[in-house]
Amino acid sequence: MKELKYSEILRLNKEIGETLESKPYKISILSNIIVHQIKEILEYQLRTGGINANVVLGDYDNIVQDSLKYKESNAVLIFWELCNIIDGLQFKIDLFDDRQLNEIFEKTKSEIDLILKNLGKTSLVLLNVFTSLSFSTSARRKTKLEELADQLNQYLADNIPANVRLVELDKVIASIGVEDSFDYRYYYSSKALYTVNFFKSYAEYVKPFIMSVNGKAKKALIFDCDNTLWKGILGEDGYDNIEMSPRTKDGLIFAEIQSIALALNKQGILICLCSKNNPEDVDKVIKSHPDMQLRDKHITINKSNWSDKVSNLREIAQELNIGLDSFVVVDDSKFEVNLIRELLPEVTVLQVPERLYEYPKLLRENSGLFYNLSFTDEDHKKIEMYNQQAKRESSRNEFTDIENYLASLELNMTVYQDEDSIIPRMSQMSQKTNQFNLTTKRYTEGDIKNFIDDDSANVFAFSVADKFGDSGITGLCIIIFNDKNQTAVIDTFLMSCRIIGRNIEYAFIDYLVDILKSNKINEIQAKYIKTQKNGQVKTFYDKCSFRLTDSNESVRNYTLVVSEYKPRLVNYIEVLDGKQFG
Amino acid sequence: MENNLDNHIKNVMSAVFEIPFEEINEDTSPDNVGSWDSLKHMNLVVALEEEYDIEFIEEEIVEMMNLSQIKSIVLEKLT
Repeated sequence: MKELKYSEILRLNKEIGETLESKPYKISILSNIIVHQIKEILEYQLRTGGINANVVLGDYDNIVQDSLKYKESNAVLIFWELCNIIDGLQFKIDLFDDRQLNEIFEKTKSEIDLILKNLGKTSLVLLNVFTSLSFSTSARRKTKLEELADQLNQYLADNIPANVRLVELDKVIASIGVEDSFDYRYYYSSKALYTVNFFKSYAEYVKPFIMSVNGKAKKALIFDCDNTLWKGILGEDGYDNIEMSPRTKDGLIFAEIQSIALALNKQGILICLCSKNNPEDVDKVIKSHPDMQLRDKHITINKSNWSDKVSNLREIAQELNIGLDSFVVVDDSKFEVNLIRELLPEVTVLQVPERLYEYPKLLRENSGLFYNLSFTDEDHKKIEMYNQQAKRESSRNEFTDIENYLASLELNMTVYQDEDSIIPRMSQMSQKTNQFNLTTKRYTEGDIKNFIDDDSANVFAFSVADKFGDSGITGLCIIIFNDKNQTAVIDTFLMSCRIIGRNIEYAFIDYLVDILKSNKINEIQAKYIKTQKNGQVKTFYDKCSFRLTDSNESVRNYTLVVSEYKPRLVNYIEVLDGKQFG
Repeated sequence: MENNLDNHIKNVMSAVFEIPFEEINEDTSPDNVGSWDSLKHMNLVVALEEEYDIEFIEEEIVEMMNLSQIKSIVLEKLT
């Protein structure tokens, strides 16, 4: 993006805009300065990530009114420039007395409250933190402008609701430098402050927030081994001569790479290996090399063999049950990198830089690809669960009959209804689940909260456990009641791919119909909305004895008369009520 | 050089104002391009500065109101 010139971005943005067919994702930008150049730059940045972004600019210096006008947008982004809170604040503030300073602080605080209230139901609000860098970098003492920025930022940090994320503007400015971020030429004549270079960096910085709410965050980090996880070639240099120890110059870099990978793993990112090596050689390094940090328990799938990498990556995708577009692959070989880019263009590939000291920076800069808008306890547990899954796979072989196998698992499901404490996890599932997802509606924490608080809606979530372990919260279902509460609509039903294949879904629908029946619901309506990834649930409702009322290419509508429901009675899954466990 | 420059600037103008390259001539100006307002003018200035790694001063910016003037100001900067 940085290497593209502004005029090229304008041209490319228009071209790519004509090819995208997905539903437009509307972003409104509210500001008290002129930031119009961000429009195409941000659109282009997101469109290259597969989001059909459509950026609309609010009126100049009209943030409060615009927060009402644009609240229906998919996302709202706010550029609130401190030095233009009142005209010429950057020089006036130094002559203000305490009373005047306090007035400004109070006024801005109440505007913040009002704006965040107006935007209370907007899915995602990105609010830049206040910065004084444009006018204070040369001051030795802390300026009043800096103090005001600190106070306001503290207020923001203490008061932002679940649907708002703060954008650390100072980091964006630092990444390209103060000199390159501001163009004062247009500030005094037109109230435009930022350069095109700034907007390029800014768009890169905020992209992960928006990718995450659109279910496009990466999930797995896949490493080659030789000269990627350690210095040297295992098969040639040997076990004793590969380097990944902080005691040597190059080893230190690989030690840092492994630590970064471990830290991502702790955040729920799956680590896999895909390397051309003798499997037993790599196993030995993983098990016993004293400098190796990535061990068996961190590595979900290890494809060390002599098959081609494209087949290996396809297999990894299949075994993990996630799409190739959620992969980031790191490899040092130009050949492999190009092969993967050519044959699996949906995979993000990073090549280890020739200047080795740039390698950790490359990995850090790309860690935004994994950014999760809501990071939850479930992420910590996820790795463990994939390992349990591997165990289940192996015990599956002992059973010829799948039902016998499932019955032997001692499955149980705990259902939670309108449970406030798991809002972040529920929102995260709606954002990340692609395959078993009937309608693929993405909801922020704020959206989920609204459903919970709404009397004519119910939010169900469930966790699944078996004798090998607990999956954590892995299912979500949102019900909306219509027609004076005679009819229920299944707005959302999704399950994590980790619990697919155990008939959990049927046990849940049995449970749901029971509950709705006892609430005097006569009819349930449901929908399948087609996406590129949810083909496996196309006929799910048919299998649940729902009646297909109409359908076209992209949508299938269903109705169930509750009295005609044929329960599946999955007798080996015990259903528990989450309330009993508090 | 001049011919190249001509095409190059037309390309930038075409991208900024979202008008076809072929429709741009020496007299193309805010009077006959609907999208050429003060904000788009700012975009044009920034795009040209980035393109040629130059910086215009305010007097030049207000003069750059048709292709022929833009060309002569850019050319002056480059030589």
